[in-house]
Amino acid sequence: MTTTAPPTKSPADSAASTTPAIRRWIQRHGWTVGIWLTLFILMFWYSTLIPRFGAFQVANIINGSTAWVFLAAAQAVVVIAGGIDLGVGGMLVLTSATGAQLMDGQPIGVIIIIAIAILAGAAILNGIVGWIITVSKVPDIVVTLGSLYIFQGLALMILPKVGGGSSEAFRWLFTGSGTGISSNPWPAIVVIFVPISIAAWWIGRTRSGLSIYALGSDANAAFLSGVDAKRTKIVSYAIAGALSAVAGFSSLAISGVGNATTFGGNLTLNSVAAIVLGGVALTGGIGSLIAVVPAAVILFFFNPILSALGINPNYAQVIQGILIVVVMMVAGLLEWRRRRLK
Amino acid sequence: MAAHTPLLTTKGIAKSYGPVVALRTVDLSVSAGEIHALLGANGAGKSTLVKILSAVFSGDAGTIHINGEPVVLSGPSDATAKGISTVFQDPALIPDLSVDQNLTISGLSKTDILPWLERMQLGALDTGLLVRDIPLATLRLVDLARALALDPQLLMLDEITAALTPEQADLVFDVAREWKATGRSVLFISHRLSEILDICDKATILRNGRDVAHMDLDGVDEPELVAAMLGEELASAVEQVEEVADKVESTPYGPVALEASDLYFRGRVNGVSFQLRQGEILGITALEGQGQDDLFNLLSGDHRPTSGEVLVAGTAMRALSPYNAIRKGVVLVPGDRHSALLPQRSVRENLSLPLYNRIGRWFRLVGDESERVSRAISRLDIDTRAASEARRLSGGNQQKVTIGRWLASDFDVLLCFDPTRGIDIQTKAQIYELLKELAADGSAILLYTSELREIPLVCDRVLVLYDGRIVHEQEAVTATEEILLTAAHALESA
Repeated sequence: MTTTAPPTKSPADSAASTTPAIRRWIQRHGWTVGIWLTLFILMFWYSTLIPRFGAFQVANIINGSTAWVFLAAAQAVVVIAGGIDLGVGGMLVLTSATGAQLMDGQPIGVIIIIAIAILAGAAILNGIVGWIITVSKVPDIVVTLGSLYIFQGLALMILPKVGGGSSEAFRWLFTGSGTGISSNPWPAIVVIFVPISIAAWWIGRTRSGLSIYALGSDANAAFLSGVDAKRTKIVSYAIAGALSAVAGFSSLAISGVGNATTFGGNLTLNSVAAIVLGGVALTGGIGSLIAVVPAAVILFFFNPILSALGINPNYAQVIQGILIVVVMMVAGLLEWRRRRLK
Repeated sequence: MAAHTPLLTTKGIAKSYGPVVALRTVDLSVSAGEIHALLGANGAGKSTLVKILSAVFSGDAGTIHINGEPVVLSGPSDATAKGISTVFQDPALIPDLSVDQNLTISGLSKTDILPWLERMQLGALDTGLLVRDIPLATLRLVDLARALALDPQLLMLDEITAALTPEQADLVFDVAREWKATGRSVLFISHRLSEILDICDKATILRNGRDVAHMDLDGVDEPELVAAMLGEELASAVEQVEEVADKVESTPYGPVALEASDLYFRGRVNGVSFQLRQGEILGITALEGQGQDDLFNLLSGDHRPTSGEVLVAGTAMRALSPYNAIRKGVVLVPGDRHSALLPQRSVRENLSLPLYNRIGRWFRLVGDESERVSRAISRLDIDTRAASEARRLSGGNQQKVTIGRWLASDFDVLLCFDPTRGIDIQTKAQIYELLKELAADGSAILLYTSELREIPLVCDRVLVLYDGRIVHEQEAVTATEEILLTAAHALESA
């Protein structure tokens, strides 16, 4: 060939020069920033709605939403890996019931050992659920529907009636008070911040964590890149189990007693709603744990706000449902615009 | 001197997918310091062999030796660890992660691949970009840079040049030659025989899942390779293509079936106008990324132009979606056949899909329609061994199904986007012949192709796009590769 072509400029070069880092950062983290802002705006609005707003109300909301945050984070890890875990709510009930049964009246040293054992047990148990999914090739939603009922049943066997308990020190850790009611949100904030930050760092920065995204985004490309699909799936479920156990501890610390008669399925559905609000794609591969935290708090926040507005609590669920759909439509619209402009 | 032990040998590799036998028995031997071509028509088993060698899946039988030692490859990462890196046809990069994050997953960092990206003239590539925002050609090269950074003894390149510009392909060839010069090996798969003769030393030729020939490529020419690939009885397929070209009867064209009038689209299509008459095959060619994708999306009703009009049989098409365009008789065979198929449904269901457009046919097909589906199958000579699921067909047969669905329904204007990319020569011949027949029956056909040699064989007239504009137009019969390539680079012919 005798053509003397000018060096064609590759499209990637121009993309690199026209996308400033800031615009890209906003594009990629816009949802996270937006959802945090929404939370603070709602907080502010709420503070103008009720006659007295102070540390007590803030602590109430944060303490109360701790379990929701961890359950949503658990769900997020599994969904980002391309699965869905309906069993997280059951795991919450199981771990809080087990904790109530074993921790009641024990000194704090023993309670910490019990908590670690439960945490490990939950990770192993849910890891087995993940293993069953990879081996049997039965869809996640089916296997975890089963695990939801199994965990709920186990919880009832361990703690047939409302009862048991933990210790004041344990309750303080999650609520800032030995009685579960306080004006001190800081212990709960630390309890949320530390594990979630570690999890977010792991999933976003490390090879094993990014494998979770890879599996959910494109299982075939992940496999070709050397990701061990089975191990990654099992790890995602094990982490979800451990995070659900933390949610179970928080729930135990707030109520002070174990209760296996509440159905965990509702909690599972809350966790799904929270991750959707937090920008996690149910198709896998996309989402941020940092955005899931405020989303879960906002979801918990609906009821106090609606009651402050004097709205019948029965309508609250209708409004909650409408808001979730509207939020998803807005997200879809933004994505559509982004693609159009590209 | 050490005994001459090949770098890689396979013996008796076999693989079946259910009832479909992909590989019967394949012996392959690649020496150190050799660029080895793997050749064969579509469905001959090349991709399957590559996937077994890169341990995407394991073979049903056979052995693999590396440097004389028998090995069992347990998975892609194991193959990499044993010195085999592969660049697959579809880049193995995670779309929702950035390039940097993809490297982390492979256990690499940016500094590992930067020298290779620079070699690919991608040193300035922003590796923080998400993979899904990067064009395919660039991704191929990034994937190659990643494979090179793993410093493999054997580099396998599966159709890597298919989406690359000639300049980019040259960069790939340079790397392959360097690999050879340093005593490492490359297994090279391509449909472009001129490339193979250019850079490869030896070739193994597969046919129907067997290795039918091992050739030293010194002094071999393209017809010999084609003859080896097709087997003697099919070697005439190439001549058939030429016969088809000769059959050009100057049928008078009918009225204008499709007209583009000064189309603009977001700076990527910049004032395209042309007329396509009934019975005419109008070719379009261009280098990668000159607005051809957008032009076809505009014509098929998938996008709306920023300004300008598409006229179908003289009236403006106000298409909100491809559905409207299809109702007006303008149908598309897209470049990505996976986006046009229902991979898990049967061939017949795929073919009859357009017939279900009307609500009265949701439950059954009426009249002779199911017969028309059968006719489409036999007319296209679709291999129905794997007919129960379209995804199990070979690429060539899948492409036939995407064309065949419009045969079973009705159309006036057929838009074909690179229908023969990555398809074996025999299927190509069948597709050319089909397009010719359709045009003779009065259909108007717009054919985008990246294979410049197709143009004089199939088309009546050819347009060349550059930067979203038509920069060249001529009769197809006299359009040589050189003229078209010169025009495609927006250069004046000498």
